Amino acid sequence: MPVTKQICESLSDKEIISKSVQDVEYFRCIYERYEKKLKRYIYKISNFSEEEAEDILQNSFIKLWKNINGYDETIKFSSFLYRIVHNETVSLWRKNQSLEKVKKAYYFENENEDENPLKEEDKNNKKILDILNMLSEKYKEVLVLKFLENMDYEEISDILKIPEGTIATRINRAKKAFAKIIENENIEIELLK
Amino acid sequence: MGNPDKLIEKIKKEKIRPKPKWIFSLHNSILWLTYFIFVLVGAISFSVILFAVQQTDFELLSHMGHSKLELFLSILPFIWLILLIVFILGSLYAIYYSQRGYKFTFSKLIAINVGLSILIGTVFFIGGGASWFENAFALRTGFYQSIQKKKEKIWQNPDKGNLAGIIDKVEDGKLEFKDFNNNKWIINIDSAFVANAVFLEKGEIIKITGHKIDDATFIAKEIYPWGGKEMKKKMRKRRNNKNFK
Repeated sequence: MPVTKQICESLSDKEIISKSVQDVEYFRCIYERYEKKLKRYIYKISNFSEEEAEDILQNSFIKLWKNINGYDETIKFSSFLYRIVHNETVSLWRKNQSLEKVKKAYYFENENEDENPLKEEDKNNKKILDILNMLSEKYKEVLVLKFLENMDYEEISDILKIPEGTIATRINRAKKAFAKIIENENIEIELLK
Repeated sequence: MGNPDKLIEKIKKEKIRPKPKWIFSLHNSILWLTYFIFVLVGAISFSVILFAVQQTDFELLSHMGHSKLELFLSILPFIWLILLIVFILGSLYAIYYSQRGYKFTFSKLIAINVGLSILIGTVFFIGGGASWFENAFALRTGFYQSIQKKKEKIWQNPDKGNLAGIIDKVEDGKLEFKDFNNNKWIINIDSAFVANAVFLEKGEIIKITGHKIDDATFIAKEIYPWGGKEMKKKMRKRRNNKNFK
């Protein structure tokens, strides 16, 4: 029997996982449920292109499939999935860091509304993302998870595999660093005026 | 073809299968087992360090003109201190990479691991395991000198006023005595302080501070039991005999 969207919608994450192990067709439900969210998340933390994000997502879901029996049910499934996607994105991002710098420069010079999916969503988000990109990786990831993905400390802790106390401290410092950049931006704007 | 179809097709085409559950259970079990072994070895190392501290005789040897730290360092087997540090770090690593290890902060993990090593190590030391283990380790490894041997060396120094060995004969005001190198001595004990735990009788192992007159005569200032497991046994036996009478 084909696994339709209606069937997928009627199942919880955990039900899909246990059914997937019996029949791989159910695995598509997880992909369909999280594809958009995760793609957005990849953009937010890495600035990868849509194509690259799709590749990351495919690789992440293959990893998820291989490690599906290692899912610890004491944490949310979404946290487990985000962890895999996060690690995949960050490791690729680190590999391509030098290449990314070149790409970023190109991206700002040749901004094309159609090529940038974030532009379609929210122009304010673009501004926020630009500031986030000026932060260090460890500050950027906690801010994205907390304020753009609306996750709580426990979820962030499970995704990044860091104690909740450290998450709280890091968010606090990241907020200060973020505010400082805004302040500096304003100073620059005022100077320009 | 949509992205979900691409994914399912890839899984089917490449026959990608999920890793079996037992691999994850085994991985987790190995990490926990490693953790407990590391904590245990850390605890044993700590107990041997406690044993070394106990055997140092800080107060008795202060007349030697060495600092307490110097004395402690001369008897402390550094191998145990290094093992304690290495195994505490190893246990930290094992627990951090266990399934929920990341929930603890580094300071909490250190406190738990050091605390466990201290607790188990102290129990092991009180139970007499430290001296037994350390001695067995020294016997089985050629490179390692036991704390007892180091202690014997420190006390086998009549020129500096330290002597230890076994009582051969007790006479009025003097002892016939054999040191650990089998040298015979006459010990003058007329004006010596004799610790309560010492029974001046044949076969008793004692340590003496005082001064050397010649190669076979020593004037005792203080006499103490040698210490260790044998002495504890004797003390217990004597106490039982006393209670029985």
